Amino acid sequence: MKIQKNISIILAVILSIFLISPIFLVILFAFTDRAIASFPIYNFSFKWWIEIFNHRQFTSCLINSIIIGVSVALVSSVTGTMAAIGLSKIPTKSASLILAIISIPIMLPPLVLGITLLTFYVSVGMKLGLHTVIISHLLFTQPFVILIVYSRMINFDYSVIDSARDLGASPLKAFLTITIPIIQPVVIGASLLAVALSVDDFIITFFTIGAGNTLPTLVFGMMRTSLKPEVNAIGTIILFMTISSSMIALWLTKYRG
Amino acid sequence: MIKKNYLLITPAIAVFVFLFVFPFIYFFIISLWKIKFYKLIKDYNLINYNKAIFNYVEIFMTTYSVSIPVAIITTIIGFYYSYLARFKTGRYGLAMIFIALITLFGGYLMKIYAWKTILGNEGVINSILIYFHIIKEPLTFLLYTKVGLVITFVHFLLPFAILPTYASLRGVNAIEIDSMKDLGAKFYHIQFMLFFQRCRTGVLASFVFCLLIVSGDFLTPFLIGGKISFIGNMIAPKFGQFFDWPLGSAMSFTMLTFSILIIVLVSYLFKWTDPK
Repeated sequence: MKIQKNISIILAVILSIFLISPIFLVILFAFTDRAIASFPIYNFSFKWWIEIFNHRQFTSCLINSIIIGVSVALVSSVTGTMAAIGLSKIPTKSASLILAIISIPIMLPPLVLGITLLTFYVSVGMKLGLHTVIISHLLFTQPFVILIVYSRMINFDYSVIDSARDLGASPLKAFLTITIPIIQPVVIGASLLAVALSVDDFIITFFTIGAGNTLPTLVFGMMRTSLKPEVNAIGTIILFMTISSSMIALWLTKYRG
Repeated sequence: MIKKNYLLITPAIAVFVFLFVFPFIYFFIISLWKIKFYKLIKDYNLINYNKAIFNYVEIFMTTYSVSIPVAIITTIIGFYYSYLARFKTGRYGLAMIFIALITLFGGYLMKIYAWKTILGNEGVINSILIYFHIIKEPLTFLLYTKVGLVITFVHFLLPFAILPTYASLRGVNAIEIDSMKDLGAKFYHIQFMLFFQRCRTGVLASFVFCLLIVSGDFLTPFLIGGKISFIGNMIAPKFGQFFDWPLGSAMSFTMLTFSILIIVLVSYLFKWTDPK
């Protein structure tokens, strides 16, 4: 019995290390001075960080990623929250059907989504750019926002709204002063998750951005040529953006697996 | 009142319809057209599907010879990870789920890049093994092989397999498992029951997601696979340097059809294991 328990714990540790070590290594090698990512590490340095900030394209890519991430989060949190409130008030059966249909874009390979959107934009004569990336990202961030806010809304205690209405508040006032403050943490959490998903996306951005670049497409360009150690530093920035925003999101939405 | 509720859903539905339904229908129609002198010709026929199926048989075989094993391996490891987190590691279980969540958001491209640096000839694994004099020559079967592809895919997809199975396992009580043991059930009986019956939704969701994502991927084969090409590597250039939208579209729909057929088959298999 004791042995079996120990085996379980050893397996759990091995699998956890397997999951986390690649991310840990990217961050570790961003702070070394060697040109290739291999052991043993002799010196730690900020060499690659200075290099990327002198990189011609880096700043504009960072700004593009932030513009796209923030716009996607703002739009999808508005459309997603509205939809979640609406869905929470209709029968559960039709609500889950609508949820399932609206989540189809998440299940499709991003490649198919990317080329579908590319052919569509080109055929209707839309110029490719940051705006096309933003509206494309809505397709896969919106379902997450809806799911998260919806699961909060179905546990919403409507008696507090009723009391406000009984005390003379207009429906709008009740919504602004009661509903919004109550669901605010969840909505902020959901939109931070949208930021993480958007900043992380490479494939759909790659097909719909046209000539511009974001951090992931910049990294891809660098990876194609050779293994440049600056990639680790840029990767660390991407990881910092996605992991920190998603961790705050999980904390705000009280997600526990 | 009901009208107002549907009105609230409208913007989200509008995004879905205008950016997914219409483009997807158009994308399908394109697959029936053809291309002549870099221009789309609206000439309806199935010739592209003929090409997509018969000219790329080997590529499809390679794609599914990796994606089916990856989907199975990931689902099983993901299930076992959730099982350990739920029943075997006590309060560290939540830490395990936390690790899965960090990896989930730890970047698609960065994970592929990380594995490229780990598996390469001068990479992390080889440099450690050489440093400790375990090997003299670098192991070359790691990068640009199917082994490397499978490792990278399994790592990338594991969090997506862990979370749904863990959600299913949360509905299972530890007392149920103990009483099964008391009644004489062996370890594999319990695992079988949990995997095929209690976690069926989570396990199936994980398999479906993994299969669809791997069979439609082009970046991991491109960066980790070396000379190994997936169907995605044939599709992507049709929308770039080798302009041929109709064929690319037909290939995409052929791929989706194959994947969906496999998924239908697997879900029947699951129904078959159900004693009811």
